[in-house]
Amino acid sequence: MPLTLADLTRRTGLDVLDHLEREAAIPVTGRLQAQGDLIVIPCITFGWLDGRVDLWPNARWRSVPAAGIELLRSAAGGNPHTLVADPGTCEWTTEVADPTGLGLGVLTATGVAYLLHPEHGGAGIAPGTYLVRRQREGTDEARGRDGPLIAD
Amino acid sequence: MASASEVSQRLGLAIAVRDDWLHAGLSTEQADTATAEAVVTELYGRLGWPRPRFEWVPSPAAALLNTDRRQELRPGRLGGASAPAAARDWPAAARLASMLSDLRGRLDARIGAAAIRAWRRAAWADAQGTSFGRRLEDAVNRPLRGTLWDAICAPLRAALPGAERGALGLTWYGQHDAWWVGRYEAWRRAGLVRYDPADARPLELWGALARSTGWWWPGEDHCVMAGRPVIMHTEPAPDGAPGQLRLHRQDGPAIGFADGYGRYVLHGTPVPAWVVTGPTVEAIQREPNIEVRRTAIERIGWDAYLDQARLSPVAARPDPGNPGARLRLYDLPVAAGARPARILLAVNGSPEPGGQHRQYALTVPASIDDPVAAAAWTYGLTAAQYAQLARRT
Repeated sequence: MPLTLADLTRRTGLDVLDHLEREAAIPVTGRLQAQGDLIVIPCITFGWLDGRVDLWPNARWRSVPAAGIELLRSAAGGNPHTLVADPGTCEWTTEVADPTGLGLGVLTATGVAYLLHPEHGGAGIAPGTYLVRRQREGTDEARGRDGPLIAD
Repeated sequence: MASASEVSQRLGLAIAVRDDWLHAGLSTEQADTATAEAVVTELYGRLGWPRPRFEWVPSPAAALLNTDRRQELRPGRLGGASAPAAARDWPAAARLASMLSDLRGRLDARIGAAAIRAWRRAAWADAQGTSFGRRLEDAVNRPLRGTLWDAICAPLRAALPGAERGALGLTWYGQHDAWWVGRYEAWRRAGLVRYDPADARPLELWGALARSTGWWWPGEDHCVMAGRPVIMHTEPAPDGAPGQLRLHRQDGPAIGFADGYGRYVLHGTPVPAWVVTGPTVEAIQREPNIEVRRTAIERIGWDAYLDQARLSPVAARPDPGNPGARLRLYDLPVAAGARPARILLAVNGSPEPGGQHRQYALTVPASIDDPVAAAAWTYGLTAAQYAQLARRT
């Protein structure tokens, strides 16, 4: 049954800003999608970014609990992006090698998972394996190295 | 077998010790000159040297801007051929550094052994499987070092004139050394480690210095001691460990000394004074540093900046995954000699309370000509990959 923003906020105890539409079903997709400064990249479709991204040989996975796992917190306001899923259906690891340095981690889910954020609301992720990256800014000197990282 | 409550009790003790030393590190009280001089004298005594002549100055800048003094404070070179044969003939600063390094090496070794013991107690790990030793480092070391060394010392050092910085020689940081003293004390007071009794007094001495003085420089028979700051404004560092702070002040210098030396810092970003006291579009265009530029723009607001700055448009494209929105690339006017910069203007996928969608700008490499490629670059992707974006919230 498709979840709404109201369902998610109830389950997790996390809140979102008042003006966001709470009763509509959260769209779910297995394709490339972004929430603010986070991007969710389907690993298989993108061939693990042409083989450039890899999990560590003995990567340790955390089971995503009902209250969710915070993936990224914004610099000035403290607004986090939280990964939420039915217990037992989703695992998360930060032990991934990403040459851009932007990789926060990889999630693998057998059920629908959600990204929740106070300002951006909810994003539905279809079952599968995804690399989550954060955004960066920079100039030409930074190309090929990390530029300053963004938190919205 | 340790209980969960014993573990959290020890953690709590360690955190209390951390807070105590953080407080000392942030002190703006007048230096306790008597204690500081007594301690330094005892340290010199341990090297077999007599009490030095003490000179107190209001700030690190005051200590270093005097050319003659800098010459005095600079330790002799310890190059192979010219180094004195016996350690006792080394310059004071070098011997002090050697003594401290040995002390810290011994203390670190004890902590290392204790951490391994604590780590082996699986019952002491937290729900995520993080070992106790690691939890303690995260709770104590990261916030202490992140605050005192990274957030406060670093911008102060950077503000000292460049040549002087090289000529600084060995600086001791007094209150700002509280970050490593606090760590040793936290492990000890949480009952997790015992140090060699012979090291107790030296550790106590360095701790007493951290509670009584600002930065200081030991010479052969002359010691320059700087006072503590009179102004210190901090805020929690959201990107750091719990308890970590950073400098921040909207209406004046975030850190300042009695002689006026100090720095303006906004949300942890050190900036020139104009950013706080009078940011203007012209000053922003002249500024070569992108962090400073961006902080200044955020201070006047992107809307105001975009209104007033005359940006040269480069290209515009529909924003993938964001129906109706466009990505717009602009050249930023920059000062002659500064590197070219471009910004990408994008629109938030999710609405604001009033229903409108906020626009925001990202600095992107000037060599990228296509807005979609620029947006892709910000996520480490190619234009072709990013064009597949199905949805943006």
